[in-house]
Amino acid sequence: MSANIRRNLTGIAFVSPWLIGLGLLFAYPFAASLYWSFCRYDLLSPPEFIGTQHYQRLAAEIAAGEGFGRAIWNTGYFALLSVPLSIALGVGLATMLSWKVRGQAVYRTLFFLPSVVPVVASSALWIWLLDPRDGILNRLLESVAAPRQLWFKGATEAMAPPDWFDFGSKDALILMSLWGVGNFMVIYLAAIGDIPEQLYEAAELDGAGRLRRFWHVTIPMLSPVIFFNLVMGMIQSVQAFTQVYIVSEGTGEPAAWSLMLSLHLFLSAFQDLDMGYASAMSWLLFVFLLIATALLFRTSRNWVHYQGAGR
Amino acid sequence: MLSRLLLCCLMLLALVVVISAWTEPPDARNVVPATRREVVFWHFWGGEDRTVVEAVVDRFNASQDEHFVRAIAMPGNNLDMKLFMAITGGDPPDVINQDDPIMADWAERGALLPLDEVASDSEIDALQKWLVPAANRLGTYRGRMYALCNGLDIRALYYNKTVLDQYGLQPPKSIDDLDEIAAATTVIQPDGRVVRFGYLPDARRLWAWGIVFGGEFDDDETGEVTLASRPIVEALAWMVSYRDRYGAAEVAAFRQGDQSLPGKTFPLLAGRYTMLMDGQWRVRDIVAAQREQRRAGQVVVEYGVCPLPFPPAGRPRAGWVNGNFFLVPRGAKNPAGAWEFMKFWSGFGGHEANAAQTCVAGGWIPVSTAVADQPTFRDYLQREPLFATFVELAAEPHQIPTPVMPGAAYFQRTVNDAAATAMYVEAAPDAKQLLEQAASRIQAHLDRNASRGER
Repeated sequence: MSANIRRNLTGIAFVSPWLIGLGLLFAYPFAASLYWSFCRYDLLSPPEFIGTQHYQRLAAEIAAGEGFGRAIWNTGYFALLSVPLSIALGVGLATMLSWKVRGQAVYRTLFFLPSVVPVVASSALWIWLLDPRDGILNRLLESVAAPRQLWFKGATEAMAPPDWFDFGSKDALILMSLWGVGNFMVIYLAAIGDIPEQLYEAAELDGAGRLRRFWHVTIPMLSPVIFFNLVMGMIQSVQAFTQVYIVSEGTGEPAAWSLMLSLHLFLSAFQDLDMGYASAMSWLLFVFLLIATALLFRTSRNWVHYQGAGR
Repeated sequence: MLSRLLLCCLMLLALVVVISAWTEPPDARNVVPATRREVVFWHFWGGEDRTVVEAVVDRFNASQDEHFVRAIAMPGNNLDMKLFMAITGGDPPDVINQDDPIMADWAERGALLPLDEVASDSEIDALQKWLVPAANRLGTYRGRMYALCNGLDIRALYYNKTVLDQYGLQPPKSIDDLDEIAAATTVIQPDGRVVRFGYLPDARRLWAWGIVFGGEFDDDETGEVTLASRPIVEALAWMVSYRDRYGAAEVAAFRQGDQSLPGKTFPLLAGRYTMLMDGQWRVRDIVAAQREQRRAGQVVVEYGVCPLPFPPAGRPRAGWVNGNFFLVPRGAKNPAGAWEFMKFWSGFGGHEANAAQTCVAGGWIPVSTAVADQPTFRDYLQREPLFATFVELAAEPHQIPTPVMPGAAYFQRTVNDAAATAMYVEAAPDAKQLLEQAASRIQAHLDRNASRGER
């Protein structure tokens, strides 16, 4: 055995725990779920091949807007609102926290703190804050003569007709997701610290005000980080599960208005024992995320500026 | 050098701590005596109830010289998955306790032993005569018993007697009475906000009102979904009349808030309702609240319980029932021991006095009148008169569970969603249309399930 081969084998032996783990816990279930998506499978009896029936059912549900179709709408609504809002809020907060003021470190800690709270704990807290009768937020709204909102209990969508500005369960989830914006914020904060001071000085010499400097220096220089958070945020919001499970008591209530894709998948797989249907759903989800990420990467060429990329 | 030595010592110390934690002497409860056969029992009880469970297990073990039960508490929400893994892996427990409508799903997939394979036919016959109808329904799938109930959950109408007396009203007997009392005792602020509802239907209780109005959710003979039948449509339409009166938003804010806030007090005690449908476990809360009022020298608010009122064409003393039941997984190593333990707990086969003791300790409803008639239990009902109504209702023929069929979880979810849409969505389609849509979805789901059995 040559020294080269031996060295390679030793290397493989050292990484073998990881390789075995990857094979058994990731690659096998990944491949198996693709096969199961063409099977009727309930965990207890052997899978039975039924062709594309599950995919046909998913297509029919999308067309009818129930079940999977309903979950897609809910998840889309949540993702399309929560991701841009969290980016805007994250960038805004990071910019303000980069200003050199007294107690800067304290403010930074305060804004980051909520994202350290476990999702289960913060969800339980939000149920209280957003209680439609006794919640503190509704009390505040009332004190300024604004209408009370149903929040988690509401079968309404504030950003869709006919319930404009009636905040329902998904809107409450979006509000809750903004609370955890601290994670993204620290990344923006680090990126802002990296922006070379001379760019601002040059802009200032050219007569640019605060707003122009923000728009023409800060934002373009942050664009790689915004892009990263956009992709991560999209994936996270499509996979949103824990908070939805807790605030809707595992049902997606009221009446499936907060039934997100991952909750629908979970209920189908583990309550209805419909593992084949759930596998088909997870594959559609995977393909969708793949395509969406690829599209984002493609458009990113037009708006993401990398330092020193020589453009 | 010294620091390296110190590091070594510290690591050794850590190792010793970890190992000693691992090899902590086991609880005497978990040591199976050499002369006995082990019965592994999975359950999901925690808190106060767990003490009651441990006491039953201890009593059983003391009464036995053949079997020994080892109880393992599991969190309820992933018990199913753990069980399936255990069955697939060939090492299931001998008996488990459940309360979700999963029995038919599991039985259909061969995960459960029918009780006639565990006990003799004559014993099963005697058991069926011994159990109240509701417990028989909960345990039977396609004519075979798969589950033995050990406790029932019954719903009835709680009312604030003090408020009814103020208005000179009697507890309701009919739906008209209920509506009348509800309208009379509802308190609305000048700004339109409701302070107290006389009564307000809960979307999740269509299961009870549908039965009270005379309906059946499925046809036992044909397996057809009869959700959109006239009585159930009437029940939902009656529930929706409350939404029409007070508005979907007010109803949702008021009613939905009751369910989700963990640890929130029974809303009847908070004075938010005059009447409220709930289960027997609320008796404890009422007794505790009254004790507190007495201790603090306040006026003691009186409460009462009555069977659900019914419409002219409806059913008296009817309602929706669920309960706790024992299941023996296929592959259990000691099904005979499991059966002995199940009988001991439920009270069947001469264990009535013991079961009465368990029901009193846990505040649970017996599954047989033979247990309810035990002196221990009679004494308990004397002390807790509110509880008696629930115990009497448990023996009635029209206490009906969620359909016992594969896909019951989907059935339940879909009905709840339709009822919630009717109650909480302002521009919802009418009750009939919603129930028809739900029925066709459920039927499609059941048909998909059924085609599996025909392969």
